[in-house]
Amino acid sequence: MRQRLLPGFVSEWKWDLRRIITVLILLVVCLVWVYPFLWMVSASLKTSREIFASGLNLVPSEWRWENYERAWVQANFSRYMINTVVITVATVALVVFHTSLSGYVLGRFKFIGQRFILGLLVATVFVPLGYTIIPTVQIAGALGLLNTLLGPILVLSSGHVIHILLFAAFFRSVPKELEEAAVLDGANFLQVYWRVMLPLSRPVIATVSVLTFLQAWNNFLVPLVFTFSRPDLRTLSVGLFAFIGENEIDWSGMAAAATLSLIPIVLVFFFAQRQFVEGLAGAVKQ
Amino acid sequence: MSTVRMQDSYSGMTPALPPASRSVLRQLWHDRWIYLFLAPSLLLFVLFVLYPVVSSLYFSLLDWNGFTSNARFIGLDNYIEVANDPLFWNAFNNTILFMVITVPIRVSLALIVAIILNDPRLPFANLFRTALFLPVITTTAIIGVVMTFVFDPVGGPVNRFLLETGLVDRPINFLGQANSALYTAMGIHIWKWFGVTLVYWLAALQTVPKELYEAAQVDGANPRQVFRYITVPVLLPFGLLILVITALDTLRVFDLILTLTGGGPFLRTEVVEVYIYRWAFNSSIPRLGYASAAAVFFGLATLALAAMQGVVVAYLRRKRNEL
Amino acid sequence: MKAQLSRRGFLKATGILGAGVAIGAPGLHAFRALAQDAITIQWWDHFLPLQPLLESVFAAYSEQNPNVTVQHTVYSPPDLGQSLQLAYPNNQAPDVFAYAGLSLPVPALQAEGWFTPLDPYVSEEWKSRLPEDVFIQGNTVFDGVLYSFPIFSFRFHEILNWFNKQMMEEAGYDPENGPATWDEFRDAARKITDNGGGFTFGWIQGIGHIERMGDSLNSLAQIAGASGPIDFATGEYAYGTDPYVNALEFLVSMAQDGTLFPTSTTIDTRNARARWATEAGGMFFDGPWNIGVLQSDFADFMDLISVTAPPTPEAGMTPYVNRGPKIGDFWISSQSEHPEIAAAILQEFISDEFQIGLAERMDQPPLDTTAVSRANVHPTYVKAIEIFNQQVRLAPSPSVRNPAVSEVLARMSDVRPNLGEIVQGAISGDVTDIRATLQEYADKMTAARETAIAAAQAEGFEVSQDDWVFDNWERGQDYTSEFYQ
Repeated sequence: MRQRLLPGFVSEWKWDLRRIITVLILLVVCLVWVYPFLWMVSASLKTSREIFASGLNLVPSEWRWENYERAWVQANFSRYMINTVVITVATVALVVFHTSLSGYVLGRFKFIGQRFILGLLVATVFVPLGYTIIPTVQIAGALGLLNTLLGPILVLSSGHVIHILLFAAFFRSVPKELEEAAVLDGANFLQVYWRVMLPLSRPVIATVSVLTFLQAWNNFLVPLVFTFSRPDLRTLSVGLFAFIGENEIDWSGMAAAATLSLIPIVLVFFFAQRQFVEGLAGAVKQ
Repeated sequence: MSTVRMQDSYSGMTPALPPASRSVLRQLWHDRWIYLFLAPSLLLFVLFVLYPVVSSLYFSLLDWNGFTSNARFIGLDNYIEVANDPLFWNAFNNTILFMVITVPIRVSLALIVAIILNDPRLPFANLFRTALFLPVITTTAIIGVVMTFVFDPVGGPVNRFLLETGLVDRPINFLGQANSALYTAMGIHIWKWFGVTLVYWLAALQTVPKELYEAAQVDGANPRQVFRYITVPVLLPFGLLILVITALDTLRVFDLILTLTGGGPFLRTEVVEVYIYRWAFNSSIPRLGYASAAAVFFGLATLALAAMQGVVVAYLRRKRNEL
Repeated sequence: MKAQLSRRGFLKATGILGAGVAIGAPGLHAFRALAQDAITIQWWDHFLPLQPLLESVFAAYSEQNPNVTVQHTVYSPPDLGQSLQLAYPNNQAPDVFAYAGLSLPVPALQAEGWFTPLDPYVSEEWKSRLPEDVFIQGNTVFDGVLYSFPIFSFRFHEILNWFNKQMMEEAGYDPENGPATWDEFRDAARKITDNGGGFTFGWIQGIGHIERMGDSLNSLAQIAGASGPIDFATGEYAYGTDPYVNALEFLVSMAQDGTLFPTSTTIDTRNARARWATEAGGMFFDGPWNIGVLQSDFADFMDLISVTAPPTPEAGMTPYVNRGPKIGDFWISSQSEHPEIAAAILQEFISDEFQIGLAERMDQPPLDTTAVSRANVHPTYVKAIEIFNQQVRLAPSPSVRNPAVSEVLARMSDVRPNLGEIVQGAISGDVTDIRATLQEYADKMTAARETAIAAAQAEGFEVSQDDWVFDNWERGQDYTSEFYQ
């Protein structure tokens, strides 16, 4: 069983010339891709002047670990990290929960009002949302969600129309033999979803999780405006702004804080990706 | 969007309706699980998406700065002003140009790379995937600084390469020159968000059942045929969705543009989001009503473009069914 | 951070309380502190460089009043404005905040009921220590009641010529005082560029910093003879006049000579300063805070530079830059439950100790500019303050004479492309006819003002274009309160 997806590739994947060239090209491309990230890490170990004096050079003349010390204190890391983890994890869980549920029924069933609901969801994705923060805060205030961690979680979890559509597209592509078998075994609606369909959707869950994780982790405005009276509930991305002033930017401190706050995302991504390549196929065979 | 419309041939677990013999109410009760499953999404959506959007629809009819109590209802005046503002159309054109150029490049390149990286036996695949995702998470403010170095007309590597190979005889001020700034920003945008499209494609590729490939191999199909007759049809619905997701992404280029060029030089890279931001929060007198009108106007315009895309989708689907 | 401190303080206090049963007096003191309700003052501003100074004041206050903690949040100006805009309607406003990032004029916010007066909580003796030109209707005072006061002096501008001494010397100019005229500046820029081997340029600026470029052109045009964006003799916008055109052409000439650091076109001032500090450019226009930023981020560069007054069109001119009276920096919110505590802290800000501390941060000049001479500051900062004393004068303010003017300003729509965008466009080569473009901008501003005046008049405000005319204004003179009579 060989995967022969790309036109022109020979069917036997071994260390032939073509393969070596592919890997080499990928290596070069990836170098270009990771360079600015590496630059950021190296900037976090330089002085601000050296960052600009050395241009694109990556190696610091002297390793300035004190930038990390400053980043830790100034960005309020120890406390903001806990808030960020709570908000992000809860948001990811809630998003996977609600988008998979609604994606499942929207993708797999016909029911009264379906077109209306789909139309409504889709119509809103095109309006640039950056400034709807005013009514968002207003309604959150009315619901008593300001100055809580729950407020940002709910707001960051809401919408995700694209992820609903992604689940819908996925569930629609699942062959119906699978659930027919389960129904014959006596599974009810909830059981079919929970035992058969959801486990199949692992690649989509991984995708939605990673992208939601990224978005929740980095969101600045929502955690900021929901914690006006409780600065102790803020997140790392808000803390990052402690390095940016009207007339000055503490470049090295910001780079250090950014590096610290990005490490968890890199780890999550690296370990989540096993899911991207483990697909439906295996499940279907069982 | 039509990409997710139910396939007519498939009706899931719901038994076909005996015509007119069951009331709507009984049907609703029968489908109660369906509505229960929708409830969490809809509740969050109504509270934190629909309500704000409807509010801004209302704001767009006001002469209002966004925080004082003296809002004045002015009907469609804001919309008329938006439609007559050449700077709005400048931003509109920049945004559409941005979309038309970057979306096809991102989607197609990411598909090719995803197919390569999808091979479980490719060495370092995990590392490659992570590497390609790194720009997505790299702090935008930092990217802004790095890119001024990369594209620096004075000794920047891109210009040095172009000069040494004789492709140009004078350095190009990529981000500071009217004719190149927008395209440079596009390139940086593709580079930064490539990883997201890649992740979507990798997920989509998982939905291609391996049995199909095996069967095709037994039948002696060549790789080109496999791609054309197996991969493409399965990927198509995802492909359209990914196209939409990517197009939507290009509407959210605010941070990147602000840190790369601030919309300059002389509005050459001002996209609609930046235009709206300037009116809503960053003008000498903020005009939230006007900014809302610009946003709604733009939303409607993109919706119209998407509807046109929907027509194309319907056409493609019909063609596919014919095959 | 502050809340954590208070929690630690609480633990300490309870610990002492336990011990206090045995030892008596200290425990009793802690008990008294605990008996009062814990009060938290929310304090928002955008003064990143002042953070240590302000927080030392807060700490000192908390030491005397252990039940009070100040939660200090520093925002960037746009975030501060946006946050305030969101906080007020939702009853989340801080106790004290800085007026920044808000585009509405202070009187419009006062009309919305945003502020609590300072007056009831301060003594007459304290008020008498404020300079007389601080008491300005609409800026700090409403209906004779003091609401706020500036902690900085109005006497500054953002176009001091900061330059690299060694490059200046190699270009054949005085390494302390640099070029004096536009021609000399242009010549120095050319020589620095020639000596720079393709990597160093004569002039570097954050041209992408649109708001700043607009301000800078306003100041530079005044160096060239304008009285300001408004011609006080006629009340007309002066953007299309010779001083503006000449000032902009002067800036463009460096771009045409190839002596402007090419990347300047789209970078902001903070980025440009960093490049200047790494010798990509020789000369850099900036405000007095430049040296303060260098001190915190580029300390090893501080002694390689000097500062001088902006160059003038001709030799031997005595240029003036007119700045309107300062608006109060900190305001007490109407939603504050403890204005007396906020006022008590704010009163500290005009103490000599605080003003000297302010000077030592080397940001905008302190309200009491004489504090600079008693402070430990870099010589370039002292020189900058001297230049401001010679060059910067108090401009008349239309809204001080007629408060209804602020109603017009609150109704005036932005004109785009704005002044800063025009500067950027001229330098990038997108704007070719400078005079026509500036005149068009002036015409659009005039039209916008006329529309706003008509709107304000329709709502019953008595205001007209004559409110922008100041017959008795004289060049080189501070337009102090007696001139308004």
